[in-house]
Amino acid sequence: MEALANNFQVLFQGLALGSIYALVALGFVLIIRATNVVNFAQGDFAMLGAYMMVAFLVGAGLPYWLSFLLALAAMGVFGLIFNYGVYYPLRHRGFLPVIISTLGASIFLQNSVLAIFGAQPKRLDNVIQGGIQIGSVFLDSQYLVILAVTMVMVAFQYFFFEHTLLGKKLQATSQDKDMARLLGIPVALMIAITFIYSSMLGGLAGVLVGPVLFVSIGMGSIIALKAFAATIIGGFGDVKGAIVGGIFIGVVESFAAYYISVPYKDAYAFLMLFLVLVFRPQGFFGERVSEKA
Amino acid sequence: MRNSLWGALAAGVAASFFGFTAIAADTVKIGLIAEITGPNAEAGNYTLNGAKLAVDDINRKGGILGKQVELVIEDNQSTNPGTVLAFSKLGGNKDIPAIIGPIRSTQTQAASPSIAKLGIPTMIGGSDPSLTKVNNRWLFRCRPSDLYSSRVIANFGVNKLKLKKWVIVHSTDAFGAGGAKALAEALKEYGVEPVLVQGYTNNSQDFTPVVLAIKKSGADVIGSYMTNSQDVGIFAKQLRQLGVTTTWIGSASIVTDTAMKLAGDSLHNTYGIADFNPDANPAARSYAAAYRARYKLEPDVYSSWAFDAMNVIATALNTAKSTQAEDIRKAIVGIKGWKGVEGTYNFDDNGDGLRGYNIVKNEAGKVTFVEHIDFNK
Repeated sequence: MEALANNFQVLFQGLALGSIYALVALGFVLIIRATNVVNFAQGDFAMLGAYMMVAFLVGAGLPYWLSFLLALAAMGVFGLIFNYGVYYPLRHRGFLPVIISTLGASIFLQNSVLAIFGAQPKRLDNVIQGGIQIGSVFLDSQYLVILAVTMVMVAFQYFFFEHTLLGKKLQATSQDKDMARLLGIPVALMIAITFIYSSMLGGLAGVLVGPVLFVSIGMGSIIALKAFAATIIGGFGDVKGAIVGGIFIGVVESFAAYYISVPYKDAYAFLMLFLVLVFRPQGFFGERVSEKA
Repeated sequence: MRNSLWGALAAGVAASFFGFTAIAADTVKIGLIAEITGPNAEAGNYTLNGAKLAVDDINRKGGILGKQVELVIEDNQSTNPGTVLAFSKLGGNKDIPAIIGPIRSTQTQAASPSIAKLGIPTMIGGSDPSLTKVNNRWLFRCRPSDLYSSRVIANFGVNKLKLKKWVIVHSTDAFGAGGAKALAEALKEYGVEPVLVQGYTNNSQDFTPVVLAIKKSGADVIGSYMTNSQDVGIFAKQLRQLGVTTTWIGSASIVTDTAMKLAGDSLHNTYGIADFNPDANPAARSYAAAYRARYKLEPDVYSSWAFDAMNVIATALNTAKSTQAEDIRKAIVGIKGWKGVEGTYNFDDNGDGLRGYNIVKNEAGKVTFVEHIDFNK
């Protein structure tokens, strides 16, 4: 009985943290699909979102939901700025310059936040206080919120990309920019929208995880590393893969930490990454390169 | 004696004759390596605060060797390579007679070979006992080592609280692993074998497996060596959420301002060891008052150790009347019964200055002084 309860507790924690990895991984993937580059500042989007929340909720003393909407809106604006400041000027320069540019942006963001908010980590309260106690299992309300929001976002994502015109235009852009341009789709605008959406998605992950991990400058980098592994495990550039990969990593590391060893917890994600690269290099959902043509 | 007095007088007279401003502009430069950026930037900020407070104090009292003190600050980005780099930068500056080094054991370990090669007296705050025993004559510890923190934790837990079923939770870096090992050895002296020794890596997002293991062990006391305050916060929250109310005696990070702010009531009624407590002694009391007045913050160990380190350097240089490394070393080792904010300093040949700790308790979010436990050796 106790073993069952413990397993359930471990599964629950894994699912919740995995959901956060999934949200950040989703942001990764959307940008990879739209621009073919990895955005190394994706984790810092989460960090920035959490700090925005702190600024509106704790700093300005606004109500929770207003702060939440303002933080997301601010992240949207930030995504647009990021698009024009970090990606757009280098868009014809290929893969590497853009990646270096996002790396630079990451360092810049971390140090700007450090300069503005100071080095001390901030506390964010749960959306709903407390949690649910079932026997010896405790379900933290914030983890429940994370799970619920992730499910909603996955559903929204599906609906948006498959059933709206804007979503289809975005898809077309990611599949073939030249063709999309010929069909009259404003490619630059679509890419800008992708950055706005990814930035909001990252911000959302940060706001959600803030009460659990606390809000600190380094919070984004820790999440981003796992999220990046998730995108590769799921299939580089695959939306489904990012979500499944994120949750997979969360659950595997949680169980491995419980059953095998805690100090190697961070290693399991990368061990999984290694195994997937050896036995299924295209990831769970990725196409083989030969099939892509 | 008589000669040196005349010499000093003559120098003073000469100074006042030959352009006082030229002398005043000439400063004694002391290096400071701090975690200004990176994950530990909050601690680095406090370190700067403490050192600056000491420098202003010293300068008001006439400076070092009659000159004003100036800090030369290098960022180590909270990393080991950053620390090595910072040392080689400061070491390249021949005007720097002494350095305030890192408070982290792992960074000290990384930089120790370069410090030995440079031969510059360096104050360190890392509490891993082995740091001062690696054949490096230039490290001087301005905090008690974990040899003592672990003995104080064991002494307090076993003798005062009468608790015998221990679990040790530790970070796997040099500080955490060193502390855990020392605690296990200290407990052995009381005939206690820990029921569980559980490590974790810094910046863990989830402590559930650790908490479940503690639950299963049936321990009645947790002794912890955790490096980051943020980890303490997350661990405390999850520990209490999963219904573990076990007594907890933690290393210094448990009573940092950050950990207590983040964890809130999850840390109430825990014990911590603190080399610094504002109520522990008169020097600490006046330092705390000055710190609060200047920074509007509660002073903690990250600032207090730097304050003491800077003052030890000033005392040593003023006693040695020299900026030569060998003279400074001799002067530091000669410091006995010097009252700093962290306690009474008696440096030994290894470079260890302090041998005791305060036990403090978190009472509803306020750190209260319980007792000071000192060892002779």
